[in-house]
Amino acid sequence: MKSPTALLVVAAVMMFGPVHALAGNVRIIANRSVRAEAISASEIKSIFLEERNSLHDGTHVEAVLSKGGPAHEAFLRDYLGKNDDALQNYYRALVFTGKGSMPKALHSDAEVMAYVAKTRGAIGYVCPTVPVDGVKTLVVYRAENEGARELLSRVEPVYPGILQSNHIGGTVRLKLTIASNGTVEDVELLGGSPILGEAAIDAVKKWVYAARRSRTVTEVSIPFDPGP
Amino acid sequence: MRQRTVLLLSICLCAARLSVHAQEFKLFDRAVQVHGWLSQGFAYSNDNNYLTMNTSSGSGAFTDAGVNMSTPITDHLRIGVQGYVRNIGQLGGGHPELDWAYGDYRFNGWFGIRAGKIKTALGLYGDTQDAEFLHTWAILPQSTYPLDLRTATLAHTGVDVYGHISLRRGGELNYTGYYGIRSFDKHGGIYYFSADQGIPIDKDSGHVEGGDVRWTTPLRDLMVGVSGLNLTEDREGHWADCLKCAFSIPGAAYKLAPDPDYVISVYGDYQRGPWHLNGEFRREYSPLTITSPAFPGAYIFRGETSKSWFLSAAYRVSKRLEIGTYHARFLVEYPDVPSDPYANHIYDQTVTARFDINHWWNVKVEGHFIDGYGDVYSAHGFYTRSNLDGLKPKTNMVVFRSGVNF
Repeated sequence: MKSPTALLVVAAVMMFGPVHALAGNVRIIANRSVRAEAISASEIKSIFLEERNSLHDGTHVEAVLSKGGPAHEAFLRDYLGKNDDALQNYYRALVFTGKGSMPKALHSDAEVMAYVAKTRGAIGYVCPTVPVDGVKTLVVYRAENEGARELLSRVEPVYPGILQSNHIGGTVRLKLTIASNGTVEDVELLGGSPILGEAAIDAVKKWVYAARRSRTVTEVSIPFDPGP
Repeated sequence: MRQRTVLLLSICLCAARLSVHAQEFKLFDRAVQVHGWLSQGFAYSNDNNYLTMNTSSGSGAFTDAGVNMSTPITDHLRIGVQGYVRNIGQLGGGHPELDWAYGDYRFNGWFGIRAGKIKTALGLYGDTQDAEFLHTWAILPQSTYPLDLRTATLAHTGVDVYGHISLRRGGELNYTGYYGIRSFDKHGGIYYFSADQGIPIDKDSGHVEGGDVRWTTPLRDLMVGVSGLNLTEDREGHWADCLKCAFSIPGAAYKLAPDPDYVISVYGDYQRGPWHLNGEFRREYSPLTITSPAFPGAYIFRGETSKSWFLSAAYRVSKRLEIGTYHARFLVEYPDVPSDPYANHIYDQTVTARFDINHWWNVKVEGHFIDGYGDVYSAHGFYTRSNLDGLKPKTNMVVFRSGVNF
């Protein structure tokens, strides 16, 4: 890999690192009635602080908490920025002013999983090592990065030998359709040599971008330089 | 009768203590949550009697309790109701009252509507000031949250609009706007003071409008906000024997013109780890125009501006113990300077220890060191009826308060 590209990937991973860290400490799960495949960290915070009770797609959701444990501690720290006492006080203030209710709180990951599986719109969190049973896992992304989708993993195209040996190069322009989970689900050649384009398409289909709320489309240009 | 009501509520809540989770039951396939609390306090002061309690002899007339029910009707609509009763000296008198009752329709995260009797969003603690278990302090800073004068700004019957707006890297905003009929309290400080001054109130009404915006900043754990409120006091009464009035005829009717009072509060709150720091500054302008059919064309006018503020710091020593202190000041800017230097301010330095026996039961011990007794034209914790020998310049008081909630 060329040095500038390596720097780009490292920078992207470093920028995306904290969200990977979020995903590593807890798994966000939802009832299968929840249509979204991805959810932002700020949406999670708003839902669990009862500032909203629906997702961006309009799905009504219900927050489900654990009463303790490592997943609960990680969730409070990474998503809500409150300790348990502060969170309970926050909920009590909502309850005793009529502006909210005490959310469901369960004793174990297994209970959370079972409740989320059977309750329409339920969203909860469990340890990432707990096997998923009857629920869906939501990909968490950081909404603050919307506008510039980060490339996490890039594969360089294989230069067709016959073209390189004949010093035939050029720039290939591609249109990428990127799924919400960051994989490239469709590629269209917009310009450049069809043979170089085929090599570029093979490579970009292996690229991985940061997760995002919905599918996005972007254009990339890939140069093929045969050298001196 | 009232004492029996308080006692009965106390017994019910103590029984509930045995199962101190929120009660929840199903009604027409909807989950109904029930929550409540009970607190009991004791206050002892060295000289002046405070907040209509007989604190100079030690007073246990310091009880309050509440219970609420709420349920979602649809995915967007929830309803709820809360009753409240208090007996703090002569405040409240043990009369149960409707604390809040409203429907809340949330269209989406950034817009919702509430209608009914709603707690007013004013400052840091306006809507939570009666729930002692939510706070470090046995008594909130009385400069800004007076137990005796809270009713007019505590709740309104009307409509709120509210919402939450994400500013992404700029943090988050929560806003509330409201309009409604303001509350009044026949067992509160305004009524007692007016009666003590010889101008008892027969009828009191008015409306209130205002808003609150609080910004959770990008600086982690810091929230700042501002509240503004206008309220009118459409009040009628009759003169008894008014010592401070420019003119009076005992028995003659009087009327207060509904000139709006203005209140503005600016506040900040910072919570990080075991530390909790906050403060609030409030300014209030209260114009007062009194007329009487007995004196056509004549009127008494007094415009009074008061400022109040507090700064507080609390530290969670352990899961069971929190300690804290606050300094609070209330100052009145009179059109004419009073001759009594203690009659234009109340300064209160307070130290507190809060013990959380468990997650539903707390005990607080608090010391107050108070300088001054405030406003000659309006009571602010110190009442003639409770201090017949006159007011002393300083008040030192210790307060014990314990509460349970579920």
